[in-house]
Amino acid sequence: MADEIQVSRPKGRLDSNACAAFETELVGYLNAGSQRLLIDFSDLDYISSAGLRVILMAAKRLKASGGSIALCSLNETIGEVFEVSGFDRILDIHKNAESARAQLAS
Amino acid sequence: MGGTSLRDGFAAELGKDLTEVDRVGRLIEEFGERTGLPPKLIYHFTLAFDELLTNTISYGFPDGMHEQITVSVTLDEESLVAEILDSGIAFNPLERESPDITLSVEDRPIGGLGVHFVRTFMDKVEYRREDGRNRLTMAKYLKDSTERESQP
Repeated sequence: MADEIQVSRPKGRLDSNACAAFETELVGYLNAGSQRLLIDFSDLDYISSAGLRVILMAAKRLKASGGSIALCSLNETIGEVFEVSGFDRILDIHKNAESARAQLAS
Repeated sequence: MGGTSLRDGFAAELGKDLTEVDRVGRLIEEFGERTGLPPKLIYHFTLAFDELLTNTISYGFPDGMHEQITVSVTLDEESLVAEILDSGIAFNPLERESPDITLSVEDRPIGGLGVHFVRTFMDKVEYRREDGRNRLTMAKYLKDSTERESQP
């Protein structure tokens, strides 16, 4: 089960209000032993630092346990938010799910 | 849509409730659509308000204090200016250090990003404490032609 790629595909807006549910979702996967996490941004229009914090939390936990995380399909504006935060340098960000899955499976 | 010589804008009084952050986001989006602002500009202002207002609402009013939180947005030919005026405890978000964005996943602390976004995405940010209130003003200068529809 740990080798399966678990996908999260948040929808709409990941602002401070929506992040509690997002965090609960990711923590659930991690607590269940998931070691490969893919966050697909295809349906996401907006993210704030609250959302980035949840993702960083998941990345830290996975790194510590030898797992991996990848993000894919960020729109241009959200991609820029990740660049400004420096997160693009510490997280694997892919143009599409196929590329992200290939990395996670390797 | 013309009227580039007119000023336009809106203001809103907020309650000390995090759902008000969503309301401001919707107000900015509606305003941006009505005035023909580019989506990226709308996003950056929404993000800046989100980060600043979340802090103000979460930490600015220990129990029992009078609450006033006023947001205003003004658009003219040259710039989009936004302001948050609140009666909370004295707090200058600009005094916080920017996060070290070169740190690795393990070393990167969780906090500090919100104000970093405000500083980076806005062209100008100013803070003043006056009459017992925090006044945070931010602005983006509009480039011509692609930023707004203009009269020939």
